Amino acid sequence: MAVDKRSARLGVLATVSLILIGLLGARLWFLQGVQSEAYQAKVTASKTAVVYTPPERGRIFDAKGRVLADNKRILTVTVDWAVVKKPKNRQELFERLSGPLDTPVDDLMRRYDPCHLMPKPCREAQLYDRLLPLPLKEDVDEDTVAFIKERSEDYPGVDVVVQYKRVYLYAPLASHVIGYMGSITKENLDTYLAQGYKRNERVGQFGVELSLERELHGRWGKRVYEVDASGSIVRELTDQRVEPVAGFDVQLSIDLDYQQFAEQALETELRSRRDLPFDERAGDRAPRNPRDPITNFTTRVFFKTLPDGTKQDYPEYVNHKAPAGSVVMLDNRNGQVVAMASYPTFDNRWMEAGITGTKYKELFPSKNPDGTKIDPDQSILVNRAVQGNYNLGSTIKPFVAWSAMHSGLITPNDVYLDQGTYTLSQIPPEDCQNNGGNFKCVFKNATCGNGRPCQYGPVNVESALAVSSDAFFYRLGELFYYASRKQPEGDPNLLKVNLQRFGFGNKTGVQLPYEWSGRIPDDATKKALVEAGVLAPGEEPRLLVGDEVQVAIGQGLMAATPLQIAVAYSTLATGGFRQQPTVVKAIYSPLTPDLSPGVADLESGTIVKSYDKPTIVDQLEDNGSLGAIGSGLHRVIRGPGTVYKDGPHRPTGFTLFKDSDVDVSGKTGTAQGAGNLPWNDSSAFGAYGSTDALPYTVVAYLEKSGYGAKAAGPVTKCMFTALSDPTVMAPVLISDTLDLGSTLPAPSNPLAKAACLTGIPDGQKG
Amino acid sequence: MTMTFLQRKPDSGLGNIRSSPSAPSRNIDWVLLLAQSVLSVIGLAVIYSASHTKFTDPFLFVTRQEVFLIGAFITMIIVMSFDYDWWKDRSRFLYGVTIMLLVLVILIGAVSGGAALSFDLGPLKLQPAEFAKFTVLLIVAAYLGDDRSDELPYHRFIIGLVLVGVPAALIIIQPDLGSASVLITMAMGIMLVAGAKARYMFMITAVSLATVGAAVVAGFVNDYQLLRFRAFLHQDSREKDLQDVIYQGRNAIRALATGGIDGKGWLQGPITNAKNDIPVQWADFPFSAVGEQFGLIGCAVVIGLYALLLLRIWRIAHLSRDLLGTYICVGVFAMLLWQIFQNIAMTVGIMPITGLPLPFISYGGSGIVTFFALMGLVQNVHMRRYR
Repeated sequence: MAVDKRSARLGVLATVSLILIGLLGARLWFLQGVQSEAYQAKVTASKTAVVYTPPERGRIFDAKGRVLADNKRILTVTVDWAVVKKPKNRQELFERLSGPLDTPVDDLMRRYDPCHLMPKPCREAQLYDRLLPLPLKEDVDEDTVAFIKERSEDYPGVDVVVQYKRVYLYAPLASHVIGYMGSITKENLDTYLAQGYKRNERVGQFGVELSLERELHGRWGKRVYEVDASGSIVRELTDQRVEPVAGFDVQLSIDLDYQQFAEQALETELRSRRDLPFDERAGDRAPRNPRDPITNFTTRVFFKTLPDGTKQDYPEYVNHKAPAGSVVMLDNRNGQVVAMASYPTFDNRWMEAGITGTKYKELFPSKNPDGTKIDPDQSILVNRAVQGNYNLGSTIKPFVAWSAMHSGLITPNDVYLDQGTYTLSQIPPEDCQNNGGNFKCVFKNATCGNGRPCQYGPVNVESALAVSSDAFFYRLGELFYYASRKQPEGDPNLLKVNLQRFGFGNKTGVQLPYEWSGRIPDDATKKALVEAGVLAPGEEPRLLVGDEVQVAIGQGLMAATPLQIAVAYSTLATGGFRQQPTVVKAIYSPLTPDLSPGVADLESGTIVKSYDKPTIVDQLEDNGSLGAIGSGLHRVIRGPGTVYKDGPHRPTGFTLFKDSDVDVSGKTGTAQGAGNLPWNDSSAFGAYGSTDALPYTVVAYLEKSGYGAKAAGPVTKCMFTALSDPTVMAPVLISDTLDLGSTLPAPSNPLAKAACLTGIPDGQKG
Repeated sequence: MTMTFLQRKPDSGLGNIRSSPSAPSRNIDWVLLLAQSVLSVIGLAVIYSASHTKFTDPFLFVTRQEVFLIGAFITMIIVMSFDYDWWKDRSRFLYGVTIMLLVLVILIGAVSGGAALSFDLGPLKLQPAEFAKFTVLLIVAAYLGDDRSDELPYHRFIIGLVLVGVPAALIIIQPDLGSASVLITMAMGIMLVAGAKARYMFMITAVSLATVGAAVVAGFVNDYQLLRFRAFLHQDSREKDLQDVIYQGRNAIRALATGGIDGKGWLQGPITNAKNDIPVQWADFPFSAVGEQFGLIGCAVVIGLYALLLLRIWRIAHLSRDLLGTYICVGVFAMLLWQIFQNIAMTVGIMPITGLPLPFISYGGSGIVTFFALMGLVQNVHMRRYR
């Protein structure tokens, strides 16, 4: 039947069409019903481009508003990661860019891949953020930008973006406090990324730049753009825009006038200590190495033992190395650090100068040419004021005196007869070295002019401080040792807990990184040191009476940072109120305007947090002890001393301030160095103004520079001179640009008028 | 299955020659015309939505399409006015003209040094390939309709194949594989209903594929079409040449898929209404605009209208007074089905991208006029089914 056959064939046609339409329907259901959201997500991701906008970093001011750390807008040439993904394209583009950017191709390649042409195995982490365009060269000039923009078809994917660069207007002043910035290190990468940082960023690496990174950084903003097929921007999705938030401005308590003066005085004094004449002249000279009276003057007292066992004499005069030092000036009213110098210093602009690794190692060597580690004396990138690991010498004596009085071991009026030596009272005489035993039982005072230990006669706390009687304090050391021994098992060392009241042995908590906590020895501390192999072999792993005796005069295992010493003296100056030291005066809300170039308009800024109100962390009990100590420290500077059989003894700081009417109290200290060689003595001085007109504490510490009164004393005196007469200080000026050809971390910066340093103190150790 | 829908008397045969007193003008299939008109109006809306953001004059393409529609309507009325026997009598002449035009357009293309698909007559672009859909349909239907045997004899099959093959080959040379595929589909549809043996159907398929293969090897197929095919096979390719094609197709799928069930709303499609996310969307991918703006519901409505359209044509094929009418309807049915399927399938990513427009909705004068003319033929068959 023809009809039915055609009908059936039309049915085939209908079936085919139903199948095709069903196929379309199924596919549509799958796409629009099932997969719709997945596609929506894809579309949202691919249709937008996010451009992150950097926050402006907070600026750093000094106490008077001078802009220590500023931001400069710079132009940075970048390239789209995708464009240089293929090695061939990358090579071609970088070869073309190398000339205009004045950068070797391989350096550009290393921006993309840090392991490019590096020795294998290379595990350098990717430096730059894949979400941001790859920066090829920072701080290019307008001409280069114009050159590249005019030839944009030759440089696909290459763009120029505005970035901020850190500039330090007054560098190298206060570099150790301000610190510097650097790339995020591998160890910190995850932490920073978690806080919303970008891989490319430079972050604080030292100083306040590091410790206040959180405040200074600000928050990234972003702009979301809709893009078309070619990736060019169609419009901005303004509802998704996030403006960057600038960081908080930080005002330091550092006053750049005093800071500059302190740095200059420190450097000038250190240099003059190195250059002392070899022969005796005008009462000041390089340390003398006298002839040995026992060997009938044929050899010198100090000698080296050579590897083959022979002895070699040092010369008669050996100059001080005077390699390094530190000055801290505190405001006693609020604990603010007014000046904090550390020598050798550096110019923190080097870290922003884009110098090569070779140049960096030349400027800041960590190894000698022969590959050994450099002498810690020479290290530059440490802030000795908070990282210095220093014996206090006699500057510890006021605090030992307070500890003894507070513990009831002595009273202010107890008199001790100082006859030049102190013999331990509790050791049986037959065990003493001088009788053939094992124990050192006899401790001597420093020698006076006649070559024998000084005999200061009857001294109490006040006069013992004035003349720095070691014997008096040796006795206190022994008293403390046995008082501690009498305590129940497990009680802390009695001297230690008392010294901790002044802040020793713990970090001060100042806003500076890498602070050292100092060390007050007790059984546990010494045990740890012995186990670490730091001490001489054969040392007992517990504190002995001899150790405690050494602590009492600031030698041996007792150590502190200059800032800790300053806080302790400041505590004496305030009548027992220990304050939290701070290098920050205030935190300002972002974008404080400028008053004039290099000076911020603090009046129109908004203070978010002020540090002007002191934070008292401890109050010391008095009972007359502080009065006796204060009188003693005043007598150190103004006398009188004591008189005994071997004649009159002037106090240690007397001649220093003879020509000055600045009213201060203080204490000298001489920390014995390696081998007890006199040229290894480090010089310390702590002082505070005796009147309300001078509410400041100054501590100076000059390594391997001689007696306390000779090196640290003059520097301290200079600071007080400047406080009472600011005109002696040179004006602070905005620095010239950094000389990139220089081989010095920082140029020499001596005092213009060094008169305050030349007080010609006579030589008396203590 | 009751066939009251087909209003066919039992035993009266497909070619019902019993005349009916009803005049042709009173036998227009209004449902068919309505479906076709609604699709055209939807087309106007879709063209506006897909093009208004891309040109300074937002109505540029809509206005032109309106003019085309008017022209197409007039063409349809002209086609309807003459009995399809009248058209059959002129089919040889029209076929000759078509072959001539196809040769001419290739020669012009060769002279001008580029592919030529159309004669540029000022504002009008005449595409002989579109014209061929009408004329080749007529001649094949006429030739096969002359034979009333139940099965398609071999010689008729061969001659029918030649009748389709010559213009199809010329169109492949242009090169316009899409239009050629429409002609071949049409021939296959008619031959199927005319009673071609299964091996004939295989043969026509094989010959078509061989022709296309030969064209590719001979270099007649331009690179762009090959690119599209390669892009279809390698959707994730990173090859630079393929990016534009992949991009166009990928965005079409994304537009459609993100429409979801109920769509983003008229003129609210972020992709359709963007600057240039889907190049020539108004002509090549109008269905993606439907999908994004009106969702699955909108797509179902459009496909439903097409289904209605096809159903009415299929019905007329049954009702036709003679085999010629049946074959005409079957040819139109096959062409429509193929173009609808191919366009939507490429939009949803299950077929490679070709330039075949979506009937009645895509922008484009030649396509609109051709389909209205074809619908005119179908109406013609319906109008004169009682004569």
